[in-house]
Amino acid sequence: MPNRAPWLLLISILSVAAMLTLWTVATGRGWVAPIFFPAPQAVWKEATVILANGQLWTDVWMSSRRVFAGFVLAAAVAVPLGIAMGVWVPAKAMMDPFVSLLRPLPSITWIPLTMLWLGIGEEQKTAIVFMGSWIYILLYTVESTKRVDPLLIRAARNLGAGDIAVMREVVLPGALPGIIAGLKVTLAISWSCVLSAEMIAAQNGLGALIWQAKDYGNLALVLVGMVCISLTVLLTDFLANRLEILLLPWERHRRH
Amino acid sequence: MTAILSAEHVGKVFQTGRGNSVTAIQDLSFQVTDGEFVCILGASGCGKSTLLNMFAGFTQPTTGTVRLRGEPITRIEPRCGMVFQSYALFPWKTVRANVEFGLKMQGVARAERAGRAARFIDMVKLSGFENHYPAELSGGMQQRVTLARSLAADPQVLLMDEPFAALDAMTRQVMQEELLRIQAESRKTVLFITHSIDEALILSRRIIVLSARPGRVKAILDNDLPTPRHVDIQLSPEYAALKAHVWSLVAEEIRQHDEADRANQT
Repeated sequence: MPNRAPWLLLISILSVAAMLTLWTVATGRGWVAPIFFPAPQAVWKEATVILANGQLWTDVWMSSRRVFAGFVLAAAVAVPLGIAMGVWVPAKAMMDPFVSLLRPLPSITWIPLTMLWLGIGEEQKTAIVFMGSWIYILLYTVESTKRVDPLLIRAARNLGAGDIAVMREVVLPGALPGIIAGLKVTLAISWSCVLSAEMIAAQNGLGALIWQAKDYGNLALVLVGMVCISLTVLLTDFLANRLEILLLPWERHRRH
Repeated sequence: MTAILSAEHVGKVFQTGRGNSVTAIQDLSFQVTDGEFVCILGASGCGKSTLLNMFAGFTQPTTGTVRLRGEPITRIEPRCGMVFQSYALFPWKTVRANVEFGLKMQGVARAERAGRAARFIDMVKLSGFENHYPAELSGGMQQRVTLARSLAADPQVLLMDEPFAALDAMTRQVMQEELLRIQAESRKTVLFITHSIDEALILSRRIIVLSARPGRVKAILDNDLPTPRHVDIQLSPEYAALKAHVWSLVAEEIRQHDEADRANQT
């Protein structure tokens, strides 16, 4: 957490309170028309309704599932491939042209093709997340693998390590912090992929929630969806950070 | 006395691109006998580290041969354990796992590894720090871990590349005394590179003075200062005399090199 000192935390709380007050006053006094920006009470009412009927939980759950499926699939493909590209130059030469061509494409550009191939079901959402995520994971993995200190590889060989041992004992743990950093960045990207996919064609999920609310002219519900996306991504990030600390015990002192 | 390490007419030329080349080492020959502590002394850029890298098998000489017990060294040689100046500890391994690394590579069983590692951790006085990660230790402690890691792998020779150069002056003196004690205990052959005359005089039985680039053997001196040695040997008249002698050899080289540099600049 960035704010450690109590008085800094207090400032953060006060700034949020000020913002909420300003919002309430601005909408209450009619400075802003409710069709452009609904009042906090309206947003809260919408939130309690979809919390009560369980719709919100279904949407959060469906979006999370899609993100998870696409992200795990992307990591399963990109991490091994990236390591291979990092240690073996021919593999990198083989993949580089495709990476260069695919990287500039935003994941939504894959929507037409994936809909044609996979329809509008879960597979298509997973595919969009996959297409939007794997290249970033790949690039981070290649870079981290290449940056493993050659002196450490030398030291390992001097202590009798062969190729496989160098890979297992030096290259993989050496690249791991960079790979995990890349996975964390990509996780947020995966979330934005699933939301755009859901806005275009989905019955449920947080993206669909926002898009349908817009169609009904229910701006309060749109805001509920947006806040909910923020909180869900923050929670995922928090979990990812906990996992990172567990996986990288030797990095813990650098955090303090 | 048989030679455990030998360099025979070793030369090393580095290609620097566009057809240019630099001769780092030229026609360099010497021998190290079993159990000996030899310091190689030379100014920066005289090819000291290159020489050590050839004994470790990291690089090959352009001409001549380096040998371990008479066999040419042509690939990375785990029997010549390297102690790096920048420690080169595995940051993701604890002190114990770092020290056990060489044994693990040799296929020593887990239980035996732990026992042997504990012995060397104790030898470098780091008992109690087994479960620390390298970044949690001071520079001097990290250098002790590196030393223990090399010793635990039980190499026939320890190659030390200015191992204490990154330490502060006081820690360095402590480490020098520790190294003398550890070498006396382990009876390892040590080939130690330094650019510090004091360090060479305190540690070695023999000093090989290298000339400035290209590195050649300028002189080989026996260091007969009494043993066991401590840092306070620096106060004795014998020490002062030997230091003056070594300095005259080194100073000559630095002066010549400096003049050559100036001639090149104009």
